[in-house]
Amino acid sequence: MTLGSTPADRIVRHKFVDRAYHWLMAVAMFILLATAFLPILGIKFEWVAIHWVTGLVLTAIVLIHIIRASFWQNFWSMMIDGGDLKDPFGKAGKYSLAQKLYHLAISVLILAAIGSGLLMWRKVDTPFWQRDPYWLSTENWGLVYALHGLAAMALVTMIIIHIYFALRPDEWHLTRSMLRGWITRKEYLDHHDPRRWQAKDEA
Amino acid sequence: MSLFRYASSIYGGSDMLIGANYGLLPWFALAGLGFAIAHAIFKAVAAPSKPR
Repeated sequence: MTLGSTPADRIVRHKFVDRAYHWLMAVAMFILLATAFLPILGIKFEWVAIHWVTGLVLTAIVLIHIIRASFWQNFWSMMIDGGDLKDPFGKAGKYSLAQKLYHLAISVLILAAIGSGLLMWRKVDTPFWQRDPYWLSTENWGLVYALHGLAAMALVTMIIIHIYFALRPDEWHLTRSMLRGWITRKEYLDHHDPRRWQAKDEA
Repeated sequence: MSLFRYASSIYGGSDMLIGANYGLLPWFALAGLGFAIAHAIFKAVAAPSKPR
C-alpha cells in the first residue's frame, strides 16, 4: 500500500473550492499575459475584448478569494508571524515564510494590475459605456499605464518562479495538494509543525 | 534602458510618461529563469534536501 492511499493517511491541505480558485486564476493569468504580450511580440490578433473580459473574471475571483480568506479560512495562516522570524527555515505552519513572502508580493502585483486595469477599462468601448480617453489627464493615464505594464512584466517573473517551485521534486507534495487536495501524514509531519498548523485528515 | 516610455508633448516642454517600457519584458523573464537556475544550483550543490 502506498503512502496516502487511504483517506485516513491523507491530510487535507486545499479544499476543492480553493483548488478551483487557484486553477481558474492560473488560466485567467495566462490568458491575460498572452493577450497583453503576444501582440507586442509581433503576434497580432484582436486581443482587447479577450483581455478586459478575462480581467473582469480575474477581478471577480480575486474578490471572492479575499472574502473567503477573510471570513471562511484562517486568514492569519498566510501572515508572517513570530515563528517565521524565529526559525525561518524550520518546520512551517500551513505555509512557509518563503510562501508567505511570495503570496504578499504576488498579491501586491495582482492588485496593482487589477486597480490600474479597471481604470484603463474606461478607455475601451464596452456594452456598458463608450470609451472616454479624457477621463484622466494625459499625465495620469501615463502613470496608470506604467503601473499596469510594470506589474504585468513583474508577474511574468513571479509566475516563472512559481512554476519552477511547482516542478521541483522536493516540492511535489505541495503541487499534488493543489491538484488532489491532500498531503500524506508523513509529509505533514516532515514539513510542518503540528502546533502551528492543526490539520484535519481526510477520513 | 529606461523602465518607462515617454512621448514628446504637443505643447512642448518636458517629455510625458506614457507607460512601461515593454522592451524590458525579456529581462523580466530572464530574471525569473535566472532565479530558478541559481536556486536549483544552490539546492543541488550547497544545500541538498534532507529530512528535517
